[in-house]
Amino acid sequence: MADSDFERQAVTHLDALYNFAVYLTRNPPEAEDLVQETYARAFRFSHRFEPGTHLRAWLFQILRNTFLTFYRLRERETAVAEDGVPDWDTPMFHDAPDDSSGTMEAHTDLERALRRLPEEFRTVLLLAEVEGLPLEEVARVMTCPVGTVKSRIFRAKERLRGLLRDYETR
Amino acid sequence: MTGPLSELPDEALGHHLASNLPRHSAPGRLRQAIGAAGRPRPVFTPWLSAGLAATATALVLLLFFLPLLPRITPADPVQRLVRAAVAEHTRTLMWGARRPDVIPAALPWLTQESGIGLLRVFSGDERLTLLDAEPVYLEQRRGIALHYRDEDGHLLTYLVLPAPGLPLPDRGRTQVDRFRPALIHDSGFSAWLWKQGDLACLLISDMISETDLGHFRDYFVRVRVATEPVPAY
Repeated sequence: MADSDFERQAVTHLDALYNFAVYLTRNPPEAEDLVQETYARAFRFSHRFEPGTHLRAWLFQILRNTFLTFYRLRERETAVAEDGVPDWDTPMFHDAPDDSSGTMEAHTDLERALRRLPEEFRTVLLLAEVEGLPLEEVARVMTCPVGTVKSRIFRAKERLRGLLRDYETR
Repeated sequence: MTGPLSELPDEALGHHLASNLPRHSAPGRLRQAIGAAGRPRPVFTPWLSAGLAATATALVLLLFFLPLLPRITPADPVQRLVRAAVAEHTRTLMWGARRPDVIPAALPWLTQESGIGLLRVFSGDERLTLLDAEPVYLEQRRGIALHYRDEDGHLLTYLVLPAPGLPLPDRGRTQVDRFRPALIHDSGFSAWLWKQGDLACLLISDMISETDLGHFRDYFVRVRVATEPVPAY
């Protein structure tokens, strides 16, 4: 695939990637940085993309790996709450604004509950249910077997229900 | 929706997520930034990297073999001799003498090694201090070198080499006291060159300014008058 074709096709997935990034980072400015970094890597390593495979899944995979890379870096420096949900006050990228003013407000219980899920549960739900990726593609993004994806989806929904129940009883 | 979200079965919860979770569209500035990043770049020239690699390899090889390449030596034997003497002087400047033996204790050994005998030798005075003496091998000739340092810190190398048939150039010949040596400049150094019989004598220093040359002239006289080299064999 020519570079220009690759780039044109890659850009068509911008909204989906940004949406995914916002839910991963919960911070729009950080999401922008994450998406920019994702595209930078995708363009740099476009020769590694296998034509005929799902470009969208490949881009999601780069985005998630990038996120995890920076998340792990940040995780070493910031405290992680007991429920496994990290403290998000520290910007993921060094050039991101150094305050939490850009943090996305959750308007619904569904958003609040989703935000409290661990990353691996949040990601399977976002990819499989929100973005509609086939389980095989989700497995590729998460570099795990399809069976694991199914199991994670099931457990993610269980956890989500539990969190929703907490909000409903308040 | 008919009941609380927490009661929804798996499939319905999935649909609910897909339809009710707010979607976030990429901001315009992000779209622009990604578009700019994806603009066509300059055409890649496949030969460029190979060419650069070949050039780099050639440069490395050139640097490696440079010391082994034949030097461009002057055709003029006098110039060649002076250049070799200056190189020896430079070596001494940088590394010091190879065997710093002070005459006269080392004279017999020096004579044996160099083939040059010193009937009289300038062993220094209030202006010049004799540092050391050593045998040298220059221009395929064995010779002797004496090193002096003046009060200002200039190093002087006095060299004697056998040079039968070496003509002294007319150009640069200067009347100094009762002598007429040739003053030759090479590589930023000055050299007095004169002959005593079949021996070529040189006095080399980095003294090149007008004032320094006045002193250098004086040093030449001191060394020339007090030193008498002869072939030992």
